[in-house]
Amino acid sequence: MPTTPQPLTLLAKADALGAVTRFVREGAREANLAEARMDELDLLVEEIFMNIARHSYPEGAPGVVSVMYSVSGPGELAVEFGDQGVEFNPLTISPPDLTLELTARPVGGLGVFLLREFADSLSYRREQGWNRLTFEVSAKP
Amino acid sequence: MSIVTIERTLVRNKVVLRVAGRMDAENSQAFETHCESCISEGVTMLVLDLGDLTYVSSMGLGAIVRVAKQLRDGGGEVRICCLTGLVRQLFEITRLNHVFPTHDSVESALMEG
Repeated sequence: MPTTPQPLTLLAKADALGAVTRFVREGAREANLAEARMDELDLLVEEIFMNIARHSYPEGAPGVVSVMYSVSGPGELAVEFGDQGVEFNPLTISPPDLTLELTARPVGGLGVFLLREFADSLSYRREQGWNRLTFEVSAKP
Repeated sequence: MSIVTIERTLVRNKVVLRVAGRMDAENSQAFETHCESCISEGVTMLVLDLGDLTYVSSMGLGAIVRVAKQLRDGGGEVRICCLTGLVRQLFEITRLNHVFPTHDSVESALMEG
């Protein structure tokens, strides 16, 4: 049976990353996700949360982030991040040029690329002033 | 939960930084600060032994790129060795293993060039 706990709601500040990670890991344990996938899950959570914390709201005026997960079956975890910041659909971002050598390489710009690589699915919707980004991970054979 | 330890060793007058644990948004700055301290002391080549690094995010990768750019600007370089697991996977999919030729051991990283 699908599980949908109360969302975790907190301020979009970098120092809340640990709390968000722990919350999503609870969902991973409910889903019996393999321990070996926990670091990949942490990566997805960090890339999304830090993107919101750094870019979604005006500097010095962080708004809220809501995080929710659902378990639709063994090894099936979906996690949704919501924020009321500037509209941002990461699925429209062009992939980085990974062929650049060091001097031409930007320091950042890999976060969304990593999301696409590690999430089994990724979806975005803008809903009544909220960005809603959902990723799914499932047990690998 | 999120801890990175950085151990500095001098091998044949070259600096090896053994970076262990997790390099994420919370502690990438600690890594950069350590590297900048080396650079300000005149170090021109850093060997990063990442054999015990279990996790790195885009911010951690960005920190490594930023340090390498600083060193390159001064004619120096970063060498990477001992990649494993998720960290190796991340270097491969971002092709950073082409930006930084990677080595299987500290010895190998120290020898080249």
